[in-house]
Formats: sequence, C-alpha cells, structure tokens
Amino acid sequence: MGYHLLAPFCLLALLLPPLPFGAPMSTAESVKQAYNLALHLQRQTSTLLQTYLQHQGTPFSDPDFSLPELSLSTLPDTEMFFETWHGLEDEVRLSLIQEAFWSFSQHLRLVMLDQDDLNHGNSIVEDQLWKARLKAKSLAGNLADIMTALGVTTPPANTHLSNVPLGDTAFQKRCRGYVIIRDFGFWTDRAVTFLGELKDKYSQ
Amino acid sequence: MALFAVLQTTFLLTLLPLRTYQSEVLSEPLPLTPESLKVSINSTKQCLHLQWTVHNLDYHQELKMVFQIQISRFKASNVIWMGNYSTTVKRNQVLHWSWESELPLECAIHFVRMRTMVDDARIPAPRFWSNWSSWEKADAQNSLGDHPLYVFPKDKLVEEGSDVTICYISRNHQDNISCYLEDELTYGKQLDQNVWAFKLKNVSFHRKTGTNFYCKGQGVPEGVVLFVSKVLEEPKDFSCETRDLKTVTCTWDPGSDTGLIQLPSYTLFESFSGKKTLCKHRNRCDWQVTQDSQEVYNFTLVAENYFRKRSVSILFNLIHGVHPLAPYNLFPKSVSATNATMSWKVSSIGHNSALLCQLQLLGEGKVIQQHNISVRVNGEYLLSELKPDTEYVARVHCAYADHFWKWSELISQNFTTAEAAPSEAPDVWRDVTFVSGHPTVTLFWKPLSKVHTNGKILFYNVVVENLDEPSSLEVLSVPAPANSTKVTLNRSSYQIYVTAHNSVGPSPASAVAISGHPENENVEEGRVNGTEDGFHMSWKPQSRNATGYVVEWCDDPQNLPCVLQWKNLGPTNTGTVISSDAFRPGVRYDFRIYEISAKGMAHLLEKKAGYLKELAPSYNPEVATINLTSHSFTLSWKDYSTESQTGFIQGYYVYLKSKTGEKCHREFEKTVLPDNSVGCKYTIDNPDQKTFVVKDLQPESVYEFFVTPYTSAGEGPLDDFTKVTTPDDYSHILTHIILPMIFCVLVVTITCYLKSQWLKDKCYPDIPDPYKSSVLSLIKFKENPHITIMNVNDCVPDAIEVVNKPEGSKIQFIGTRKSPTETKGTKPVYLDLLPTEKNYSGPGPCICFENFTYNQAASDLGYCGHFPVTPQAPHCQLGPLTSPENLLKTLEQNYMNSLGEIPAGEANLNYVSQLASPMSGDKESPPANPPEPALCSEYKMQMAIPLGLASPAPSKNSSLSSTALLDPSEHCH
Repeated sequence: MGYHLLAPFCLLALLLPPLPFGAPMSTAESVKQAYNLALHLQRQTSTLLQTYLQHQGTPFSDPDFSLPELSLSTLPDTEMFFETWHGLEDEVRLSLIQEAFWSFSQHLRLVMLDQDDLNHGNSIVEDQLWKARLKAKSLAGNLADIMTALGVTTPPANTHLSNVPLGDTAFQKRCRGYVIIRDFGFWTDRAVTFLGELKDKYSQ
Repeated sequence: MALFAVLQTTFLLTLLPLRTYQSEVLSEPLPLTPESLKVSINSTKQCLHLQWTVHNLDYHQELKMVFQIQISRFKASNVIWMGNYSTTVKRNQVLHWSWESELPLECAIHFVRMRTMVDDARIPAPRFWSNWSSWEKADAQNSLGDHPLYVFPKDKLVEEGSDVTICYISRNHQDNISCYLEDELTYGKQLDQNVWAFKLKNVSFHRKTGTNFYCKGQGVPEGVVLFVSKVLEEPKDFSCETRDLKTVTCTWDPGSDTGLIQLPSYTLFESFSGKKTLCKHRNRCDWQVTQDSQEVYNFTLVAENYFRKRSVSILFNLIHGVHPLAPYNLFPKSVSATNATMSWKVSSIGHNSALLCQLQLLGEGKVIQQHNISVRVNGEYLLSELKPDTEYVARVHCAYADHFWKWSELISQNFTTAEAAPSEAPDVWRDVTFVSGHPTVTLFWKPLSKVHTNGKILFYNVVVENLDEPSSLEVLSVPAPANSTKVTLNRSSYQIYVTAHNSVGPSPASAVAISGHPENENVEEGRVNGTEDGFHMSWKPQSRNATGYVVEWCDDPQNLPCVLQWKNLGPTNTGTVISSDAFRPGVRYDFRIYEISAKGMAHLLEKKAGYLKELAPSYNPEVATINLTSHSFTLSWKDYSTESQTGFIQGYYVYLKSKTGEKCHREFEKTVLPDNSVGCKYTIDNPDQKTFVVKDLQPESVYEFFVTPYTSAGEGPLDDFTKVTTPDDYSHILTHIILPMIFCVLVVTITCYLKSQWLKDKCYPDIPDPYKSSVLSLIKFKENPHITIMNVNDCVPDAIEVVNKPEGSKIQFIGTRKSPTETKGTKPVYLDLLPTEKNYSGPGPCICFENFTYNQAASDLGYCGHFPVTPQAPHCQLGPLTSPENLLKTLEQNYMNSLGEIPAGEANLNYVSQLASPMSGDKESPPANPPEPALCSEYKMQMAIPLGLASPAPSKNSSLSSTALLDPSEHCH
C-alpha cells in the first residue's frame, strides 16, 4: 500500500478530535479484548506458517525456506517504515489494522480453497487456516467496534476478493498461501504492539 | 512438368462429378487439397489441435483419404514430426486431428502443414499427393505475461514410471537459473536462446499432493507441480451375488490407491441387456434386476482414470449366486435342564422360496450339535441332551435351498439350561487325630466338577452315624465353598456321609468309615523318585478284599497347615503317578498310601518320601567344636535336621585346612575347594553321623574346618571356614592341677579369714604386756622408784623352768650360758635345756627359738616335742605354728623385738631360763639320746624382776607359772 493511500487517513485524523484518554470503560474493555485476541492470534500464526509449509513439499518445507521478494499486491502493505507507522495517529493505525485483518480474513479463505484443491483432506492445515481466518475476522469486527465507539468511520467491508495474483498453477497457489500467511503474521505482530499501547493508554 | 501435373489434376477433379454420376467406379485419382487449416493449442493436454476441410468433393461423395502432416518447432524448417492420418472424408466435412507434444507447447513455436492423397479403392492408381498447405503457426508464448520466468507445463498429470519434459522460459538472459525436482538439482538442455528443457525419466510417486519442480534465479522462484498417479490396477476378485433375487451386488478389490485426488471411475456393463451403471463405490456396485426372465448376466467392470482403462468380466447366473440375508430374531423359546427350543425368522427370497438353515449348538466354544432345518419364514428346533446349568450358544445361518452357494451371516444367542441335582458324590477323605484318646476327624472334600454340580453348590451335609449306637445320627451343614470340616467322635465305629446340595437337591452320598481307634503308624518309610511326570509309586497290597487305595500328601508341606491332597485308586491298582502343579523341586513330599477295606476303613499301607527333583542343600549345619585338645577336636552338628532339606542327605563333607602345611591328614583327601583354594576333604557317607573327630593335629596350630552336607544333586553352599587353634601340651596341667590348687588355697584363705578370731583365740591369744601388768601397779603403789622391768636382752639366760601343766610337775632345765651375741648367725643355734630333775635320765626337752615354720607332721601329732637339733638336721624344728606353745614363743620374740633391745638380726635369739638348774660338764654337749616327745607345756610369760621383789614365796597359784630369777650382778650390766 503506497503512502498516497495513507493521505485520507491522515486527513481524517486531523479532522477528528484526539482520542479521549478518559474513555468509557466499555471501550477500554473492548481494547483489552482486542489485544488479547491479537495476542492469541500471534501465538497461533507462527504455528500456522510452519504447518502450512511442512505440507507443501520441497522447497517450502526446507528449514531455511524464505521468499522475502515475493509479495501479493492485494495484501495489506508491509513495507511501511517503522517510524512512519509510529508517526501515524492512533485512529489511522486503528483503521489500517482493522482493514488489514478484514483483508486477511478474505485471503485466508482463498488459501483454504487452494488447499482444498491441492491438499484435499489434509485436516491439519485446513483446521488451522479455518481458526486463523475466524479469529482474523473477529479481530476485524472488534476493531470496528472500537472505531465506532471512538467515533472513527469504519471502512466498508471488502466482501469479495477478485483477481488475486499467483493463482495460475498449483505451485503459484502454494506460493500465494505462503505469502498470505507470512504477511498475516507481520500484521498480527503489528496489531499486538499497537493494541498493547492502546490498552495501556486506556487502562490509565 | 509440375505445371502440367497441376493442370491435369484440376482437369480430373472437374470431371470427377460427371464421372461419378455416370459410374460408381472412379478410374483416375483426383488431387484434393486440405484447406482452412487451423492450429490451436490445448495446454492442459499439451496437444496441437488441427482443424481443416477438403473442398471439391461431390455432395454425396465419400472418399477415403490420407493426410500427411508435418510439425516443426521454433522454425518451419525444423521438422520434428511427420505422420499420416487416414480417414473417410465427406463433402464440407471439418476434419480434426490432435498431436500431443512431448515438450510443453508454451516453450516453443510450432509450425504445422499437411498434404493429402486419395486412398480410395475406387480410384485407380496412380495416386498423387496434393500440394502442401501453407505452414500454420502455433505460438502459446503470445499469451504469456511479462514475468521474468515461466515454467511449463502447468500442473502436469503423469503416471508413475513415465517420462515427462519440463521447460522454462527466461526473459532475462543474464540470469543464472537452477532447477530442482523437489530438493534435487536437475540439469536440462537448452533448446533456444531463452528456453531450457528438462527430461524427467521414470518419475516416481512422492506424495498425494504432487511433486514440486521449481526453478530459481535472482528473482522469485517459479515452478510447477507434477501430480504423479500410480498405475491403475485391474480389479481383482470380481464377483457378484444376490441376496433377494432383486438386486445383484458385485464386489471387487480395486487394488492400491492411485494416489491422486481424482479417483478412478468404475462402471458396470451388462452385455445381454446392453445396460450400464456408474458405480458409487470403488469396490462395490449394485445392479437392479428388472426382468424376471433373465437369469444369466454377462457383467464387465471397467475401471478408468486419466491414463488407463482396466476391465474384468464375469458370467453370473442369478439362481446360482443367491446369498441369503442373515436370519434374525433368534431366541430360546423354552429352556429346561436338558432341553431348549430355539426360534428364529428368515427374510423371504423371491416367490416364497425355501431356505436351508443350519442350527449349531456351541458349548465352551466348540460346536457340539448341528441341525439342518428347512425354513420359509419362521424356524424352530428342539435342542436336547443338554447339560443342566450350562451356558450354551445357539447360532444359525441359512442358504438358498434350490441351489446352495453360500451361507448367510451367522447370528447367535446365548442361553443357560436350568439346574438339576448334583450327579456325583463328592470325593471325600479324612484325617484322623486323637486328642485325649478321642478321635478328631477332619473331613476334606473336593469341589465337584462343573459337569457334576448341575448348579451352584450351596452347602454340604455331613451325617455322622455311630455304628455302635445305630440310633445316634449327627448332621452338620457346611456352607459352600468350604471344603473341610472337623468332627470329634467317641471311641466307637462311625460311618460319615457327605452330600453336596444345590438349589434342586442333594448329590449322592460319599461315605467314610472311622474305626475310633488309633491306626498303626509303624510302617516303614520308603523313598520314591520324582520325574517330570510326577511321582511314580507302587505298593504291595496287603488284603485281597481291598476296595481301593488312597494316596495322600501335602501339596505345600513347607507351609502349614497342610492342605491335604489325595488320589483315589481302584482295587486293581498297585501303582500310580502322583502329579500336581504345586510340586516344586527341592521340596520333600511325604506320601501315605492307604488301603480301603470292604467296610470302608482306611489302613495305612506304606509311607514314601521323595523329591520331584533333588537339589543341593541350601544351607550348612551349625557346627560346634567340642573336646578341643592339643592333638584333636570334635565337630558336632547334632541340631542339623536331615528331614527338611532340599534332597536326601547322603552324608557330609568335612573340609579341613591347615596353615602349617598342605599335607592332608590321614583319611582326608586333598581337594580343590569351590573358591579354588586347596584343602583336605573327608567324606562322611552316613547321614546320621553328625559328629566327627579331627585327630592327629599339631599343638598350638591353627586349623580351619567347614562341614557341608551333600545330596545326589551336590553339596551345600560354600560358607566361611571356622578357625580352631589347638592348645599346647601343658595346658592340661594348668587345667587339672594348678587351678584346683589355687582354688583350694583360696578356700582356705577365705576360711581363715572368716575364722581368724577363732584361730587367734585358739592359737595366738593375746600376750600380757608386762608394762601393763598389775604387778607394775603394785610396785608403783609402794612408790619404789628403782623398780623397773628387767630387760631380757640385758640378761644372760640361765635356766628356764618349764611347767608341764598336765603333769603338774616342774621341770627345770639348766642351760649353758651364752651371750645373745653368740646366737647371731645365719643358721639357727639350738640350746639344749637340761632337766634339773635327777630322775631325768634322757636328754631333756629342747626348746628352739627359731623362725617359725609350719610343720605338718608335728602338728599332726598334736604335741610339742623336743627333738635333737643338729646343724646337720635343720629340719628339726619346733612344733607347729598352730600349737599354742609355738605361737606363744613367736609372740614372745616379737615382744622382745618390740622393746627395741634386740637387733633385727637377732630374731633367733636363744633363750634360757635363769631358773633352770645349772648343768655341769655336759651342758655344751648335745644329749646322747633324743628326747622323748613331751606333751605340750603351757608357757607363761616370764619377767625379770629385782631380787627384792622376788622374795615372796610363790603361792600355790603360781606354782603353775614359770618364774625367772635373774642375778643382777651377773646378768644386768
């Protein structure tokens, strides 16, 4: 995601009043719940990536397998610098994270479909993908609730994915699943960090 | 020339319709050219698809034609394949033909052209090829995107063992690309500037999810997945059957899975009816019977996947393949102790056809009865000859009665018959002991076998009948599962009956006779050898009227109380084998063989003892060493029991080791001990000998011994040797002489000590102290300061008067004057005291002041004697110390010494009384004759006093006292 996409959120952040630190208890509880869910998801995601790769054969199952140059244009951006991300207002980051997890819930569904074709009957991978997708969707919903509570406009849910690249061959589908789960982990880490900070703010 | 040929062909084709119209037979070949050739690519199947038409054919004309096709790769001139395709062509027909490329079509541009020739018999030769069509290009690369790397074919489906070619297209010529099949680097062949091909031969199945082939350069890797399928197997064991004549079910073994997500399809064809059905399962298919008239079916099963088609056929007769459904609702309709009626139902087949059912009865897992019954709907059968209180299993299966082919599945039902009274008397035995003369009988019985109990045994009845008093009956009821009871009887004859009872009734009675008098136990005990089978024993019958024999023993004799075991044997038996799972090696078993008389009395016949297997003794006796002398000692182990060992003790080994030498003693043999040391061994072959004397030993030597018993299996464990040290030769003297002496002296000493006062009174009364005498008080009373006590040492003894008290006579001795200094010397000097009496004819008694020495002989005589004393006879001594006289003298001397006037060396001072009459002449000479022993004289302490004081005449009372009158001028200096 390019920086130009962040502009509306920056503008939105300027227009909105700053987050009241003496927020109602329900918001603090929502943040805490979202944080706990993100924390749980973080622990699960690393396991999911390992399980996924082990069932795709060589070279995916190699211990040092990594494709950092591989990316998927439909996935949320992972290339934003750390300082840039931290320079964003809380509302913007909240909105970006909510959007990302909604997107990931859709992409994980795509991975599930791919795996159904490629690894039909492999319940281990399918089960973990299903759980991860469910939690991603729940986290996106929780974040939307927080945004609503804070008066931040919730972006419309992208209900359908279309033309996701890397779907022509079985090999590409395997690569695509890897990238989706890998970036899902990145965003989970980001969400845990951000929600942790937000939780601390609201617990004061 | 070519132009001529073309004109000729055109001409002929123009004439062809006319000639066809005139005649059905063509006489000349017609040159026809394929037109509208189009080439397309099927990437999935990697096929070039050709489509063309042939013009210039008449409307109804059909010609058999041959099409020659050329395929080039990369460029038109690079022909890689050429072949013919023959077919019948109609007018305006669009022809199709496909060619499968080994190389993925995306990796190379392909060119196709063709020409044709009429190959119809109706056209006479010669025949000519038409001209080649123009090259048609098939280029799949046009549809590729702008990725730097592509790998083809996409998701190829291949059969295991086949070859497959994979290629990649790289847009970056500088990139160094490596390709891998899974994790194995693969080397390819460059086909073009940016195209490489990899031929994978004999590909193998890795996993169901496919095999990855990928290439990677500097950018993102690209790859394909090869889905390798295992070779589809031909179905095995294909067979069909019907269960109800309505549906035919065919089954088969599909073999191993092909390993693909896409499963092979199975289709069942029936050739007579021409019908087919797609099977829903990979190993089973149902075929509905619709025509009653069709009995025979020709089934063909076709298994098909992407690569192969396999088929098997079977000719199936419907009537011959009936496999009825399993019967149902099997249950015991009525059950008694010995009978049971079983009932079941069957599923109807066809038009009420009959089934043949087989009813099986199982007892303890085995078929014991089997019955065949023809059944249409309901089956029923009476099972008889059953055992009471027994669990059975009834099971039934059925087959088609018209043509047996296969039994149906079995169904089973358990049932238990009712109870009946026990059918056999319990096996009873007894153990009789006599307490205070009254027999106490312990009755034992074995539980009845399940065959005979006919139900659960609730209790046992014991009826005691006194045969001497027929009216006396005692009944005991012992609840099960007890197997013994105790009965105390009188000294009468008894008959005891034991019956087992279940809920239905009693068993037959078992009788035991008791005589009431002790049995004869004096029977010689024999031995019996154990084998793997047990103990083989035999006996000699004593009576011809024996009704049987009983052998009794204890299974575990080491643990008390003994659980009595017995074995009944018939009257014709004179031997048996006693076996038991409880028998253990190394345990002694005692068997008692009884003979049963006609009256039921048991008489002890023989006793036998044996071991199932003898073992070496498990422990050694505790050996005591007794009678130890300097040359021998005795070993004793009398407490060692030979009865409770692990084998029959045959004797003992006595091992002896000496530190002095290695030579063995007599009767010993040198042997190597289990610890590899050398010792001497003596064998005692009598198990009852439990002492052993080790002789011929050296005094003051150390010996080590060790005694171990031995059985037929070996000797006991090697224990520590016991050390014995023989004493020296003189030790017995110490034991037999010195010690008693010490004991005696000790007794005497103690006695003397205890009786010291008495002895003192008797032998050593207190000597009066002259300084404390009453005389002194008289003197002091008269106040004469000159009065003093005479010191005897200052006086020269002159004479001494000895008064013989028993005789009451006064004896005066005249001694020689001698100064005390003269008496000094190491040897005692004896002074003869001569009697003053004239009538004294013999030598006078001598009084020796000598070291007092005990003289037993003199003491024994009980008197004092004057013996001639000479230096040559120093043994002549005074009387015994115990005599009062001697003691007095000793005390007197001590008294003198106490005055301090006599040097210590003058303890032997001779003393002569001054009152003694002076002797003349021979006073220096010893008496010629030894004096006769005189009776003991009473000695009175003498005292020297001044003359003036001695003036009083002695009174009668003093007549018994000796007085010493000393001359002061002569004796006092």
